[in-house]
Amino acid sequence: MSDEEHHFDSHADAGASKTYPQQAGTIRKNGYIVIKSRPCKVVEVSTSKTGKHGHAKCHFVAIDIFNGKKLEDIVPSSHNCDVPHVNRTDYQLIDISEDGFVSLLTENGNTKDDLRLPTDDALLSQIKDGFAEGKDLVVSVMSAMGEEQICALKDIGPKN
Amino acid sequence: MEGSTPTKDLSELQSTMRAIEYACSSIQTSIVIPAMLVMHINPGASEAVILSLGQSSQPYETCEFILENSQVATARFQAAAAIREAAIREWAFLSANAKRNLISFCLIYIMKRASSPDFYVQAKVSSVTAQLMKRGWLEFMAGEMVVFFNQVNQAVVGSHGIDMQFAGIKVLESLVSEFSPSTSSAMGLPREFHEQCRRSFEKDYLKEFYRLTQEAASRLTKKIIESDSVVPEAKVCTAALDLMLQILNWDFRSNTSDTKKNVNVFSAGVRQDGDSLKRSECHLVQPGSDWRDVLILSGHVGWLLSFYAALRLKFSCEGYWLDCPIAVSARKLVVQFCSLTGPVFLSDYGKIHEQHLLQLLSGIMGWVDPPDAVSKTIENGKSDSEFLDGCRALLAIASVTTPHDFDSLLKSMRPIGTLTFLSMLMSEVIKVLMTSNTEEETWSWEARDVLLDTWTAILTPINTINVNALLPSEGIKAAANLFSFIVECELRLASATAFNDEGDSDYLHASVSAMDERLSCYALIARASIDVTIPLLTRVFSERVARLNQQSRKGRGIIDLTETLEELYSLLLIIGHVIADEGEGELPLVPNTIQTQFVVDVVEADKHPVILLSSSIIKFAEQCLSPEMRASFFSPRLLESIIWFLARWSRTYLMSSDGIGEKILDSGHHHENSSKKTLLCFFGEHSQGKLVLDIIVRIAFITLTSYPGEKDLQNSWHELATSFSTEKTLILLDTAHQRSLAQTLVRSASGMRNSDMSNQYVRNLMGPIATYIVEISSKSNVRSIAQQPDILLTVSCMLERLRGAASASEPRTQKAIYELGFSVMNPILVLLEVYKHESAVVYLLLKFVVDWVDGQITYLEAQETAAVVDFCMRLLQLYSSHNIGKISLSLSSSLLSEAKTDKYKDLRALLQLLSNLCSKDMIDFSSDSIEAQGTNISQVVYFGLHMVTPLISMELLKYPKLCHDYFSLLSHILEVYPETFAQLNSEAFSHILGTLDFGLHHQDADVVSKCLRALQALASYHYKETSNGNIGLGAHTLGLKDSTGNVQEGLLSRFLRSLLQLLLFEDYSLDIVSVAADALLPLILCEQGLFQILGNELIERQPNPTLKCRLANALHKLASGNQLSSSLDRINYQRFRKNLNSFLVEVRGFLRTM
Repeated sequence: MSDEEHHFDSHADAGASKTYPQQAGTIRKNGYIVIKSRPCKVVEVSTSKTGKHGHAKCHFVAIDIFNGKKLEDIVPSSHNCDVPHVNRTDYQLIDISEDGFVSLLTENGNTKDDLRLPTDDALLSQIKDGFAEGKDLVVSVMSAMGEEQICALKDIGPKN
Repeated sequence: MEGSTPTKDLSELQSTMRAIEYACSSIQTSIVIPAMLVMHINPGASEAVILSLGQSSQPYETCEFILENSQVATARFQAAAAIREAAIREWAFLSANAKRNLISFCLIYIMKRASSPDFYVQAKVSSVTAQLMKRGWLEFMAGEMVVFFNQVNQAVVGSHGIDMQFAGIKVLESLVSEFSPSTSSAMGLPREFHEQCRRSFEKDYLKEFYRLTQEAASRLTKKIIESDSVVPEAKVCTAALDLMLQILNWDFRSNTSDTKKNVNVFSAGVRQDGDSLKRSECHLVQPGSDWRDVLILSGHVGWLLSFYAALRLKFSCEGYWLDCPIAVSARKLVVQFCSLTGPVFLSDYGKIHEQHLLQLLSGIMGWVDPPDAVSKTIENGKSDSEFLDGCRALLAIASVTTPHDFDSLLKSMRPIGTLTFLSMLMSEVIKVLMTSNTEEETWSWEARDVLLDTWTAILTPINTINVNALLPSEGIKAAANLFSFIVECELRLASATAFNDEGDSDYLHASVSAMDERLSCYALIARASIDVTIPLLTRVFSERVARLNQQSRKGRGIIDLTETLEELYSLLLIIGHVIADEGEGELPLVPNTIQTQFVVDVVEADKHPVILLSSSIIKFAEQCLSPEMRASFFSPRLLESIIWFLARWSRTYLMSSDGIGEKILDSGHHHENSSKKTLLCFFGEHSQGKLVLDIIVRIAFITLTSYPGEKDLQNSWHELATSFSTEKTLILLDTAHQRSLAQTLVRSASGMRNSDMSNQYVRNLMGPIATYIVEISSKSNVRSIAQQPDILLTVSCMLERLRGAASASEPRTQKAIYELGFSVMNPILVLLEVYKHESAVVYLLLKFVVDWVDGQITYLEAQETAAVVDFCMRLLQLYSSHNIGKISLSLSSSLLSEAKTDKYKDLRALLQLLSNLCSKDMIDFSSDSIEAQGTNISQVVYFGLHMVTPLISMELLKYPKLCHDYFSLLSHILEVYPETFAQLNSEAFSHILGTLDFGLHHQDADVVSKCLRALQALASYHYKETSNGNIGLGAHTLGLKDSTGNVQEGLLSRFLRSLLQLLLFEDYSLDIVSVAADALLPLILCEQGLFQILGNELIERQPNPTLKCRLANALHKLASGNQLSSSLDRINYQRFRKNLNSFLVEVRGFLRTM
């Protein structure tokens, strides 16, 4: 039991909480926020007032970082919001399997095979084309609140 | 027509006409019934047909045929446009006879068709006539012009009937607008041409035209007045009045020389335009003294006024009303006459001017007097235009007279002065404004703005002149009454709108700045009677505060305080404007009237009205320090106005001018001024100053901590913080305004006694922040913890603070800030790696480095420079390795475009960084040369550019700022370091050339001229070097074979070719011609052989032998005319500019013909 706990702590991600509280007034454009239990990136913040001598409220327009849907929220500026812990890790792309999974090389030499390819055709072809051309690709995987997705790829020269 | 063009036969003309008619009508129907059209003709094709008419060579005969025979009005319109286009283009090689024929054809056409119902065709033809006459203005003999003008003048006089008279006036109108520089149309000619035309037109014709129009108009009026219904004369008369107005709007300049000798005392009160005419346009009419007979002595004004008076009686008749065109034009002309001033009046101590204004004023008074009755009729549905014109006339009169003269004008006909009347008028307008209180802009809005401008025009000198000297005592009283009424109304408005809730999110800020202008004008009025207004304001303010205390004691839940809060809010804004100026970046002085209008006993300083007022406000503000009070009535909005007030007030009064004041006193230039001295001493360092400062700082501190979400408040606080830079101990706060706060705090180091202390202070202040950055970056698990939101937030905050501190670099604190930056160099690289996916942090990191380098680079010693440069290069390398070939994947298009914007911002920062590095070679304060450490800035910058350039895609260059920065940097380094450029490897070299080529064809003239400058630098460098026997750009200038075996031209030949192509065949702004000349000259000198070949090619391609000859001559003149030599000195550049200009005027016309 204690062994397991110890194991947990050394693993950087698992012990960390998925979200952090942060005052709404300090969340700015390009920051992250949780709206309707979805991790989002803020694309617009505006403040409004209730009556001339009232207190300010923040109006957030944000985009779900995984599915690209637009979400909005209004929070009094002194209240706390949840801010997701967004992590990005680079892996080298080893293989693309038939069933829509990718095989990635982790830093310590293991492989990570549980990540699905995007379902959107345009994104999919960007990855597949580059791979098919024989380029050496590094993919960045974005993870937040228990979800993962490829968010960028980078060509680091032709495959040797 | 010229002999070379054969006369076309009738059938050919008719078929062209039909084609044009068809095209015109099909384009028109496409707007009306698009569905029908799509079936038959493509609108693009019709457009091409019409365009081709103007672009073809010598289409005049066809156009004239269409004008005379076509039944389709639009076809005639297009034909006229085609004449204009072709004639302007081909003007240089039309025969004198052909030119004359064209103009006279147009004139005759207009006159013959004067009764045609298609006004727009007539208007077009007359504008074409005007343009052609202007184009030939400098080449025609005076006699030839007279022939044309006689035709027009005959018509204007009315000898050919009403219709022709109207047409004649319209032709004159087109001429005047064509010759006036602001409304002239482009002709592909240098500005000097337009200026010459303007001058000669003003000298020889303008007055004559005016006289003719005036006579024509006065002859027409009789008929209009006598007839009971509308007569056609009314239309002609309206046109004449409009033309007179237009002529009076002319920017008279011929008189500038004799104004100096002949200063009119009456007009000495005329202020500079920028000063008095802020919002409403009030153009001063200042024709030369030769206009006196026409404008003043002819009794013209009397005629105009009596004509309008007669018109007013007819408003009940059918066809005439207050806003009928002729009445509107007449009123406009009256207003214009009010602003007549300058040498046109005799220097007889202004008697004639006074007479003139009196006459006008007596006419205008009927429009606005008595104010209450007039405003009532307007509220009952009468048109407001006459009233508004009356206000405008008052504004015009106010801007050409001194306040004393202005006031006495009315006294000769009424028991009150003009100022008293103005005050009554304005009170009435404000009253109406208060009662109507709608969102829309009503007449009372506009009237108030015009009248406020009038007050501004009268009162602006108050800031330099003693009030008693400026205004008569009655005027002061009038201002006092008006101001107290304004305060009353503003308060009523505030409480009435307290519950209005604007949806606009940045309403708070907008409200302050939008009202600002109005408030500054109120302040002027208040300052005119400052000894009355200050006590008034004190009383009103204390009343409101007392009410607030009373109400809050009764309990907040029961009574709503909002109305009182809103009243206090607007009161604070008014008071702030009255007792202090904004300063606009300068140190504001105590307002002049406050300095001079109070006689104060120094001992009883605390009885000084201004001190009483200030103290009561500060005491009120102090209450917010207690949490209960804060909770009970200090709303964010109220506190915002308090902070705003304190910021404004302390910039003038608080300690600030103490030292400076003493210095001025010491130097003996300063008149001792008891009121000012009392005020400044009272709030100075040795009296109440420290106490007040302490209060203000505590208020500021409370503001920042207790109202965390209120961004607007914190903005105001930042202003406050900058206004006193002597505060020594402030605790760092955690807010969204980290950067400005840090900047302010670091700046405050300049208030320390010596540089050691300043540096130590900065170290103490910023040390912990740098330590935080160093520590976080050296943690072994930085990678995993860095992404946590709380860490992310703190790191961003710290970086913002560092950036703020870096941008506050001053010589005094330079050392400490250098150390600060130096200590975080490596951590920054670590963070850049860790946060490579977090674009916001990346941008912060880059911006910090940019600001830091910007502040430091000029001071650094050789060794330091080497370290900084090395660091920058590592930064660039790292950034480029992260971003080259990176593709963002996202489902959301807005996230993708965000990513692109982020990239653009990053790149801009990097370009700025390179520019900053460049500046080391320009300005350097270090003790030894940087070369000592082997740092070569030029190589570094080229290397940097080489790394950044691949990241800049053509798509990113669409961002104008990035594009601008990129090309400025490029042209700068090519100009300054052509020798380093020559040493670049061929890949880097061709990349830069590629972007230059791209830039040359950019649509932004600024970018183009930057590229041209770079080209000039390269070519002249090469030319100078080779003539000294060096290799210059060496191999790069030679053609070479690339890998596929194609011969590539050397760079100079390539650009010579493309520059010529651009100049001769493409569209560009005329502004770049002289820069292009500067680039072309060295290119030609370097590549003489190629220039010959290209020239010959051009000549060979020209089929027409006449034109061939012209082209050959022009080319010859370009290359050797005007004593052009083969050196690259200033004179030679100037000569070549002239050559190129005349070359282009000469040949572009036919080279671009299809």
